Amino acid sequence: MTPRPGYDPASLFSGVIVIVLGGLLLLDQADVLEVQAEYLLPAVLAALGGILLVCGLAGPPRGRS
Amino acid sequence: MVTGGDVRQIAVMTEIPPTPPAPEETPRRLTRSTSDSLVAGVAGGIGRHLNIDPLAIRITFVILTFAGGLGLIAYLLCLVFVPTDDPSAPPLKWGLARTIGAGLLAVAALAILVPDWFWGPQLPLLLLAGAVVYLLVRMVRDDGGSHAGRVAARIAIGIVLFALAAGAFVAAAAGTALGGGVVVAGLVIACGVGLIGGAFRGGARWLIVPAIVLAVPLGAVAATDLDVRGTWGDRTFHPGTVAELDDGYEMGLGSLKVDMSDVDLPPGRTDLRLDIGIGEIKVLVPEDVCVTTEAQVGMGAVNVGEGEQGGVDFDISDDRTVAPGVAHLHVIADAGVGYVGVGEHPFDVRGPERWRDEQFDAGANRAACLGAA
Repeated sequence: MTPRPGYDPASLFSGVIVIVLGGLLLLDQADVLEVQAEYLLPAVLAALGGILLVCGLAGPPRGRS
Repeated sequence: MVTGGDVRQIAVMTEIPPTPPAPEETPRRLTRSTSDSLVAGVAGGIGRHLNIDPLAIRITFVILTFAGGLGLIAYLLCLVFVPTDDPSAPPLKWGLARTIGAGLLAVAALAILVPDWFWGPQLPLLLLAGAVVYLLVRMVRDDGGSHAGRVAARIAIGIVLFALAAGAFVAAAAGTALGGGVVVAGLVIACGVGLIGGAFRGGARWLIVPAIVLAVPLGAVAATDLDVRGTWGDRTFHPGTVAELDDGYEMGLGSLKVDMSDVDLPPGRTDLRLDIGIGEIKVLVPEDVCVTTEAQVGMGAVNVGEGEQGGVDFDISDDRTVAPGVAHLHVIADAGVGYVGVGEHPFDVRGPERWRDEQFDAGANRAACLGAA
């Protein structure tokens, strides 16, 4: 994943992951969707792993390389 | 022989080109800002030091102020320990009086804001942490910005940030357990939107930290269906008749016991609803009454006379056939984190531990369901 000038891919993809996770938690908390623990905890872990992976692939932020 | 023209040539060849002026070095020392100041320039100074928007620091301080006063305490400590960037301001002198004054200020703030938490066994730990922070700050002051001083400053900032993150973590968990999960989830989404927006403005990776600090406890609390709204403590209900039975018994935190041994149940099904956030539910039932239990536990254990079953987010449901005309007590229990026990043993006599450990038999209650009792 090569950073293109104009945006920070780590922030972008981390934002998408965080929104998806937040949306899932919001639906669960609003009783729209009942997410079982065996799916919810892996979802949180997967989001953490995804964020770490994206940050690792994107490299350091611009100006710190 | 060297001629006049050669001398000029050598002079030109050895001329040292003028060096460009060194760029002005940005100060690495954390100072309070006089140019970006709403109260005392603490947030402006931290934002400038960490190269992030001071508005985010201000919002963090406000949020943490509502989380047990942590934001206010952190702000006061920064106000006392961090010098201003105003060159005309007199240099900071750390006399004994000022040190004691700052310490008393922090102690008073803690004692007022969190009295129940403050006057506990963690007081020595708090004093130790204060001493460590004070020594680190003194080390930075005495070192004059050397490498060791910068390392010490980073350690001190790391300790403060860790404490803030831990406070936010606990606040998110408590907020979710108290019914504010939608708000916490909204904050997580806001962090995600901020990340995407910041991605096109040079990056906003720092928002990952608050997003994780909020999402992880929210996910953990949501997974256990924890809800601690309501009363707390150790309460025992002892209804004498069916008319004295409440529609439901609900507690946030503690021990909820219902003694049904004196209730003369009518033929047919009588529901008993119990709900607790964290703690234990214990129901004492008469021996000659058919008892069925439907329990939902976020994390913990259940014992209804068939051995203890435990785990995360599990349900048990008793679907046995009940003969018509039999007095039948149907217990519907919901525990976020804790224990549910239904049986014919007097828990006040045996005590919670022995009662829990014993593999008691519910044979009499089972037989009663068939109309044999």
